[in-house]
Amino acid sequence: MDAYFYIILAVGLLSTIVCAVAGIMNKAPNDATILSVAAVELALLVYLVGSIVRVSSGEQMAGEPWEFWGYLITALILPVGAVYWSILERTRWSNFVLAAVGVTALVMAARMNQIWY
Amino acid sequence: MTPQTPVNKTDAAPKAQSKDTRNTGPGRLLIAVYAVFAISATARAGYQILTKFNEAPLAYLLSAFAALVYVVATISLARPGRTWFKVSVAAVLVELIGVVVVGALSIFDSVNFPHETVWSLFGRGYAFVPLLLPILGLVWLYRRRPSVNSPSAGSRSA
Repeated sequence: MDAYFYIILAVGLLSTIVCAVAGIMNKAPNDATILSVAAVELALLVYLVGSIVRVSSGEQMAGEPWEFWGYLITALILPVGAVYWSILERTRWSNFVLAAVGVTALVMAARMNQIWY
Repeated sequence: MTPQTPVNKTDAAPKAQSKDTRNTGPGRLLIAVYAVFAISATARAGYQILTKFNEAPLAYLLSAFAALVYVVATISLARPGRTWFKVSVAAVLVELIGVVVVGALSIFDSVNFPHETVWSLFGRGYAFVPLLLPILGLVWLYRRRPSVNSPSAGSRSA
């Protein structure tokens, strides 16, 4: 596991906790929950840029490259979709949808790390 | 054999009376989790079939079938109406049967099911969410089932 994974682990868990607590407290999605998901997206973008740099500098990943990029692109779409959806229906349940993003992102980051190394 | 008006009436009645609430509130969370599984199962099955289908055709066809079930469940849960409700129930039931049967087979007949699918070992590779999901789905669908004859029941919010 590399630094990218640990960044996403930290940010993803934090985001999930923030969103789940907001949902339990019966709040609609607000700045805190949406920004926490935006932070997950940012962490994934850092992973994307870092990976592009590593590949273009000649580093080889152990697994299938297209599987890695497939995971990364899917992971990048999830936060955007979840935030869009949470804006469409502003109830506590949308916060639980947002909470799912952080955990999903960290599971996918773990898988991406396995593919790379 | 003359066309009867009640036929048209029953056709129009559900549209007028049933206010669908399956795709709001907790239903959205359920749809979101199903969507994640639909995407990941489809990607995984596609990858397995394209790269190493000959290693375990049965397991990878099962993967593809599981992916299809998740896609159908996701779409039908998100759609309003009585027909989509039935599709949802069917998809979630197939999913429950699938995870139980494949889960059991992967334990008792590990020779024929050595390769990983979403449902292997009752979905252990996915933190047992595949086993939990259809149960929650059925509970949710039961609570929000379309009312049969009382119009007031269709619009209740609980």
